[in-house]
Amino acid sequence: MTVTSPVAPAPISLRRNFWRGVGRVLRRKPSRMVGVAIVVLFVFMGIFGPLLYPNPLPRDDNALYASPSWAHPFGTDFEGTDVLALVVTGTRYVLLAGLATAVITVALGTAIGLLAGFHRGRWDTVLMRLTDLQLTIPGLPLLLVLSTVWKFTSPIEMGVVLGLLGWGGIARAVRSQSLSLRERGFIEAAKGLGLPTRHIVVRELLPSMAPYIAMNMLIAVTGAIYAQVGLFFLGVLPFDANNWGVMLNLSVFGGGALSSTAALPYLLAPLLAILLLTLGIVLVVDAMDEIFNPRLREE
Amino acid sequence: MITASGITKTYKQRGNMLGARAVPALRGVDFRIEKGGAVTFIGESGCGKTTLGRIVAGLETYDGGDIVIDGTPMSSLKPRHREPFFRRIQLIHQDPYSALNPTRTIHQTLAAPLALRAKQTGRGKAWMEERARELLALVGIDPGYVLPRYPHQLSGGMRQRVVIARALTVDPEVLVADESVSMIDVSLRLGVLALLKDLRERLNVSVLFITHDIATARYIGGDGELYVIYRGQVVESGPTERVISGPVHPYTQSLLSAIPVLHGVERPGPERVVPTEALNEAHPDTGCLFARRCPFRTDRCEAELPSLVSDGEQAHACYHPQRRNVIPVEAA
Amino acid sequence: MTRTSAPGVRVKDLTVVYKTPAGELPALGGVSLSLAPGTITGIVGESGSGKSTLALSLLNAVQPPGRIKEGSVEIDGLGNVVELTGEELRRARGRQVGYVFQAAQNSLNPLKTVGKQLLDLGRSHDFDDLPALLKDARALLGRMGLDGGRVLDSYQHELSGGMRQRVGIMFALVLNAHLVVLDEPTTALDMITQAAILKIVRDVHHERGLTTLIITHDMGVAAEVTDSLAVMYGGRVVEHGPTTEVLGSPRHPYTKGLIRAIPRLSGDIDEARALPGRPPTLGTIPKQGCVFRERCPLRIAVCDTVDPEPVTRDARTVACHAVGHLATPVVPKEYV
Repeated sequence: MTVTSPVAPAPISLRRNFWRGVGRVLRRKPSRMVGVAIVVLFVFMGIFGPLLYPNPLPRDDNALYASPSWAHPFGTDFEGTDVLALVVTGTRYVLLAGLATAVITVALGTAIGLLAGFHRGRWDTVLMRLTDLQLTIPGLPLLLVLSTVWKFTSPIEMGVVLGLLGWGGIARAVRSQSLSLRERGFIEAAKGLGLPTRHIVVRELLPSMAPYIAMNMLIAVTGAIYAQVGLFFLGVLPFDANNWGVMLNLSVFGGGALSSTAALPYLLAPLLAILLLTLGIVLVVDAMDEIFNPRLREE
Repeated sequence: MITASGITKTYKQRGNMLGARAVPALRGVDFRIEKGGAVTFIGESGCGKTTLGRIVAGLETYDGGDIVIDGTPMSSLKPRHREPFFRRIQLIHQDPYSALNPTRTIHQTLAAPLALRAKQTGRGKAWMEERARELLALVGIDPGYVLPRYPHQLSGGMRQRVVIARALTVDPEVLVADESVSMIDVSLRLGVLALLKDLRERLNVSVLFITHDIATARYIGGDGELYVIYRGQVVESGPTERVISGPVHPYTQSLLSAIPVLHGVERPGPERVVPTEALNEAHPDTGCLFARRCPFRTDRCEAELPSLVSDGEQAHACYHPQRRNVIPVEAA
Repeated sequence: MTRTSAPGVRVKDLTVVYKTPAGELPALGGVSLSLAPGTITGIVGESGSGKSTLALSLLNAVQPPGRIKEGSVEIDGLGNVVELTGEELRRARGRQVGYVFQAAQNSLNPLKTVGKQLLDLGRSHDFDDLPALLKDARALLGRMGLDGGRVLDSYQHELSGGMRQRVGIMFALVLNAHLVVLDEPTTALDMITQAAILKIVRDVHHERGLTTLIITHDMGVAAEVTDSLAVMYGGRVVEHGPTTEVLGSPRHPYTKGLIRAIPRLSGDIDEARALPGRPPTLGTIPKQGCVFRERCPLRIAVCDTVDPEPVTRDARTVACHAVGHLATPVVPKEYV
């Protein structure tokens, strides 16, 4: 036991320790670094992708459904547009919508779950009935109906709708977590010391649930990506936006990718992008528990 | 000073379709905690002693009777107004591993209640820092080592000391210690017990000590009062040393007889009382609660509930009280 | 090769290491210990002393990341357990060595009745006469003051803590094992139940002619039932001898300190003194020198560099430089 550690635990040094710890956790497994690299790549494409290509994307009428080549690594589509360019420029919509969904599900789910679990009693009953109500809303049919009046041109709109349809699960999970945490000694001690409820919920309860919430958030992102791509694929939503789902739809229903090989790269490119992004997120999720638990972070 | 009279508490156990079963945890308990004094409750698990500690610390409500803190009966106050009274009674949890938030450093853990205190008294950050160090030094740990650390980096003994320091941030008058050393390594236990004893003398705080280990009660509160509680009822009480050396209730005698003898250091006592049956909550509530297990029971014991009779110092609830020498004797 | 008499056990220079990011750390650093046939031996130690690792080693059941690095565990009728593997080992567990796990209260399968679990055990050990096994179990439970038939028909949740503990002991004995290891047999039990269980352990030990090993952190439990007592600290046996002698006139400074740190009902309570410092963990056990020196009032220069050898005299073994000169080294007595 060394008693030579520096004193003065200023908040700044704590913060720095946290990020150093995060770095350590990520380096612990190569898979996590790969995950981070993939996610960073997609974020980069989402931010800068549209700037790399002219708008609208150039068409080449002489190369409809061209095979992969150096000029077009994933071939071209029915209009002769480069598939890679479509995938890259389509990233922004997908990511933004996914992120918006995740933020809304997590914010709503956590707030409602915490409130219900911590206060119990009447609050609990009301909020949980509300959650049940949310969970019983059939998402797809509702979206089908909504899409007849709403075009979802902005990814944020898309995200808000998906988010409002998806917070119930997290609310239930967070509630059961806080129900068990509130029986812990340190929560009782905080109450006994007269600490305000805001402090107890934000400073004591929330950090203990952080890994849980972070994991749910990342999983919500992947869920949202599947959902919106699915909607576009089904053709429920208009083809205004440049989107991976639209690509899938056109390759299958327009290009006949399932029966001929010509449109195959056009089908595979967005699929690959979805799989890669999901893989990246799943690899990062693996690190969440260790990042938010000081014991696992430092060992 | 705290006076509790006739505290009752009944838990509703979720039953079958025919309705919930009521499980009495406390059946009318009276006691007093003097300033700087020590009160010990001993009994088997499930006897209600933990519930009692939580009620005194304001973490649980009671159904009947009343707690009077410095002359103010708690039943006369709205729950919101009771809080400042109960804040002066701090519970030291049994498990120092769950009593500290694993995601917060010791500095953060102490800073929160100290900030509250600083706000009340109009003092600043510098006072908080100084007070945190002062309290850690008081409980016998090096502030420089402990403050920047997370709970998992400390031993069980250190954690329990931090828990005590945290309780002291609000300048309590009573510490409720519920089995506070049972999860700590044997060689470190006495250190924590000695700290509690020391705090009684130095800060004049009272200690309500809840345990199944009578010897530790003797160490902390040898000069205080001992209450033996059985199935939610006090069956014997009195000055700690006197009850230990001259128990008159067969249940107290059974508890004392069951304590292992350190052969080589001590010899078994001349007498020994062993219950005839194991504890069974389903035993009838009529008559003496201990009757079914008591080797000295008579028909009267099973019919009528004996009440607590006091000789001025020592009280017992038994129709056939008799002093028995059951505790071990020091080997020559 | 079922034995019907109590076996002796000889542990020699046993070293068990655990693999950690900081390299292989020794949980047991060359432990030697003999259990005389027919005796109850207690091992007392705090968390991190290696007592549970030692108990697991008797069955060669140390789980990865731990492994037995060197040393031997000789059990009469079984040979060197460290060299047993696979099927032989599985059969030895239960048949020759009965083990009552720590928190045996919670180690029953909640989905099966005790009787079903007993039959599973019998089948896995190729018992032909299952009715006889049930009869033995009923008799054993009856011996421990339980209604055998009712208990065998019960699920775990229908039994109290003390009853489950007795069921655990029954499982350890029912295959007719004559070496029984009890790991913390009474933790989480009340005083009165503890006293009842300890009495049962002692009675059954004598009636069935067992060699019993009890692992505990509670000096009182060890004092109450054992004939011989080994005190462990930092992966070493620092003192070993007849229980009353070890407790009555402890030689090792750790034993002395530990006994003084126990509040008692007899004598002057204010004589109890806390032991300074804290017990080492796997990572903080010193690499060289005496493991106890940080907390030792008798520390001398040699303690920093040389790990004291256990020295045996008058059936008492002590590993300490400061008190070692009291004893002249003799060849450790072996039980055959």
